[in-house]
Amino acid sequence: MDIEKELTVGRGYVVFPIENTDTFNKLRNSFVEKINISKKIGDNIDQIRKKLAKMTKAEINKTMVNLLSFNDLSEMIINSCPTLVKRLCGSELFIQRRAHTIINVPGEGQAKQWPHYELMSGISPFSYVIWAPLHDLQDQGGVYYIDQKKSYEIMKKEEEDGLVNGPTVLNLMTEQKPTLMKFGEAIIFNPFVLHGNVTFKSEFARIACNVRFQSYYKPLLQKNTDYLKYYKLV
Amino acid sequence: MSVVTVTTDLNIGPYKIPSNGQNMIMNNYAQRKNLIIELVIPEPMMSNELATIQWLQRDYKISKLILCSIYQLPIKKKRIEELLINMQDVEFHFALEGVSGKGQDFLLSCTKEVNMFKKAEIIDSTKTSWSKLYEMIKS
Repeated sequence: MDIEKELTVGRGYVVFPIENTDTFNKLRNSFVEKINISKKIGDNIDQIRKKLAKMTKAEINKTMVNLLSFNDLSEMIINSCPTLVKRLCGSELFIQRRAHTIINVPGEGQAKQWPHYELMSGISPFSYVIWAPLHDLQDQGGVYYIDQKKSYEIMKKEEEDGLVNGPTVLNLMTEQKPTLMKFGEAIIFNPFVLHGNVTFKSEFARIACNVRFQSYYKPLLQKNTDYLKYYKLV
Repeated sequence: MSVVTVTTDLNIGPYKIPSNGQNMIMNNYAQRKNLIIELVIPEPMMSNELATIQWLQRDYKISKLILCSIYQLPIKKKRIEELLINMQDVEFHFALEGVSGKGQDFLLSCTKEVNMFKKAEIIDSTKTSWSKLYEMIKS
């Protein structure tokens, strides 16, 4: 199915190959450079992942402060997938002011991302999210996605019950299978698709980045200049 | 040379932030940027001209000025021009947007961004529902 249709009337999410792999490689190199600013962790992504997997939460948070200098991450992700972004939203965009880098550490007791849809945070229904790992995802460290139809059924049921993010959503955490991906692939999904991650076993931490964007000509919801900035894709 | 924070009317563009909330936001920003605040300047309500800071500039020689948002900059061309003249050497910081800089180019780029956001339609979340929002992407 066509990506646009898949995102609006299909599953609501699509795995796709990143178009500008040079830009995405630069993004990964920039991450490696920046995370090593205050203390050398590793020369390449896998060395860094292995070190991060053994760190405490406090040590990881301290390390992540280095990434505050990653000011152009949003633009780099968008420019890695320009044709897709333009096709969905045109070239005038509102993009996330500061894209996220997420480090997920293996092992029981580590933080899990409970299921949620992006709309809960107040981004516009016309937004899309691109999520991309900085390495192959061969274990359960990735993200699982719940088909849009089921996500909507749950959302609707909760709405009838006057609830948002209640037990029905939280119960989805059990027995989910994260999507396996290769470095150079990304997932794009709409803000209604429930997703989350589960605890996983591995020697390596999972590192991924994500960015939210929408057409400049589509309405905003609650996120404004605090979260978004205007960006023109050349 | 002073580092100051400025509180304004609680209606800040699309945000509604009481002055103690504004102070919390700016204090947190200052802490993250290792800035020591020496003065808190309250601008009057129902005014976005930033007139108080401009006449205080003569006495306090403000070097860095923290506001919550770029939405607190004056709207009228004449007012922004006056601000640019009187505060040209002052480094402006906007806590919510996390941006800082000084001079005409920087402040004009901030006002330009405000104008772009002002043109955008905003869905009123108090007058919609999850289902209605979902229907929007189908249309």
